[in-house]
Amino acid sequence: MKRRGGVVLALATIVVAALASTAGAGSSAVTATQAINCKSTVKLALITPLTGGGGFIGQEQLSWSKYAVKTLAKKYGLKVQLLQGDTPVEKGPGEALVVAQKFISDPKVLVAIGPATSGGVASASGALTAAGIAQISPSATRTSLTKGANREATNAFFRVVPGDYIQGPTDANYMVDKLNAKKVAIVDFQEPYSVGLADAAETVLKKKGVSVTRLSTSVNTTDFSSLVTRVPGDAEVVFFPTQQPADAQTFGQQLLEQGKRAKVFGGDGSNSPDQFKLAGSYVSNFAPDISGIASSKALIDGWKKDNPSATLGSFGPPSYLAVEVALNAIKKACDAGKGKIANRKLVIRNIKKINLKTSILGGPFRFSTKSNDPLNAKFYIFQIQSNGSYKLVG
Amino acid sequence: MDTFIQLTLNGLTLGSVYALIALGYSLVYGILKLLNFAHGDVFMVGSFIGFGVLQLLGGSTDPVVPIWLLLVAITLAAMAGCAVLGVAIERFAYRPLRDAPRIAPLISALGVSFFLAYSMQLLFGAEQRDYDAFSMDDGALFFKGFDIGNVRVPLLRIIIIVAAFVLMALLWVLATRTRTGKAMQATSYDREAAAMMGIDIDRVIVFAFVLGSALAGAAGVLFALRAPTFPSIGFLAGLKGFTAAVIGGIGSIPGAMAGGLILGFAEAYTQGYISTKWSDLLVFVILILFMLFRPQGLLGKADIRKV
Repeated sequence: MKRRGGVVLALATIVVAALASTAGAGSSAVTATQAINCKSTVKLALITPLTGGGGFIGQEQLSWSKYAVKTLAKKYGLKVQLLQGDTPVEKGPGEALVVAQKFISDPKVLVAIGPATSGGVASASGALTAAGIAQISPSATRTSLTKGANREATNAFFRVVPGDYIQGPTDANYMVDKLNAKKVAIVDFQEPYSVGLADAAETVLKKKGVSVTRLSTSVNTTDFSSLVTRVPGDAEVVFFPTQQPADAQTFGQQLLEQGKRAKVFGGDGSNSPDQFKLAGSYVSNFAPDISGIASSKALIDGWKKDNPSATLGSFGPPSYLAVEVALNAIKKACDAGKGKIANRKLVIRNIKKINLKTSILGGPFRFSTKSNDPLNAKFYIFQIQSNGSYKLVG
Repeated sequence: MDTFIQLTLNGLTLGSVYALIALGYSLVYGILKLLNFAHGDVFMVGSFIGFGVLQLLGGSTDPVVPIWLLLVAITLAAMAGCAVLGVAIERFAYRPLRDAPRIAPLISALGVSFFLAYSMQLLFGAEQRDYDAFSMDDGALFFKGFDIGNVRVPLLRIIIIVAAFVLMALLWVLATRTRTGKAMQATSYDREAAAMMGIDIDRVIVFAFVLGSALAGAAGVLFALRAPTFPSIGFLAGLKGFTAAVIGGIGSIPGAMAGGLILGFAEAYTQGYISTKWSDLLVFVILILFMLFRPQGLLGKADIRKV
């Protein structure tokens, strides 16, 4: 009897789950075509790791997104609410989809600022697009999101930063052309960001005749001593595309501890003057140091006023730009619909047409006609100085 | 040969820290038969206490006291703070469940683990914290030391290894040569009989938490002197400590020490000679193999039950 009851309970659970999923699909289909009154509050959904090991990225993006909403909503005559979806990197890329599902059912969510990570984009882009929600990522750089036969993101995915197909070769070319490297060690962390970047750099380095030693470690590694032991003593550069700047610092120190003189070369993930400050090392980044851009000074001052204890990093300003692109497109869709947006897919079309004369990252901003990546974007190389500051060198 | 010496040094450094963590698991398990899954998070809190005291004393670049005193102060502060935390955990999370089914304190332990990790994250943020020992005394801790062949043994590693072994030796003396240690052994052997012999069981249990947590605090500081710390670091560190305790024989003090060192060497040699990819995997393969083929560990005693 008990057994039969268990079977009935299991069947009932399956039926309820099936009904629930159907209801979810139905509601996302309805919300995708629901009209939005521009006088009411429209919502942006920030999808980023706010907690966990990558929390520093999300917190920086959150502070700049909030600041962008505060300063730009008025400019565009919109009432805007910023929702937050936490996707700790420890929960894996699938968490972005879980978070996205919550936003999909809210008809007032018009644009997702994110997902922040490439894995998150690959996981959630399909569902968000099916619901008519555009995605503008301020930090997802994996090449295959927007390029190649097996594109991982949909046409509703945009990013305001260039992809790793630019970063990897930029870094590799700098190592060969400027640092005259003949022997390079590359370390990846067995996750999409660093593997993609490491692969892109390795391809260029090998083409240029550089001897490459490829090493790999877990993203959970914090003591790199034994990895350092594997780095050839005569390597001139170690390419270390981590998403944890403090790891790059530790790795560099442990290289010196073992008497190895190779320069550490980090990607955009290790770009943090607070945490990676080993003199002589290099980092690349998708954004210039905006503190050197005169037109961005007022924005930085305003953000600092709202966030007095925060340090200006490289992950925040692109979030400001992503919000700006989103609000600009919403405004255009509102104007075209005379105060109404017939459905949220119209916002996607307007994002594609965006053309800003100036942006917080410097210079004009628009998307490429061939992909949804920024037009003419490039990566910048910085060298860490003895006082810990980052000097633009390439 | 140089590679072997370097990897041995790496393994010894890492293993010393694992051994200190494993001792906490073994002490508590030996007496309460409880897997204290919050122990890794006590380690994390210790590393944060050390970081806080380091900042209070002027930080690594401009300390207000000599470096040796700074290192002693942050270690003792972490040990004291974690000892208090251990007492609080025992009092509020485990003692009320002492007579409950064994699953209840286990779930409570997991709850405490999450509580500590997320509380620290809420209070101090998710970002990594670096002691920046590299900047202490112009890098003396990294560059001074002695050489074995072509391998430099830096001062910092010597400090970590010696400190860990001194703490282990003190614990060994305490457990085998003092009345309290003998009371702990008696309680571990048979709690009810020990109580009938007049041993204050509550006191012994609290003492085991004090010792285990203080060692975790010290391990937190010793670890964070070489690698950054963050609120979620306790989970993996705890798992490694638990694995070390299982390898050595959970409940056995010398077993925990041996297990920690074996694990450290296994990780270092795997990374150095086999592949840097497989070290974490190897750790848990070792754990599974021990659970399957020698659940009592290397130095533990098989649990014989009358039926």
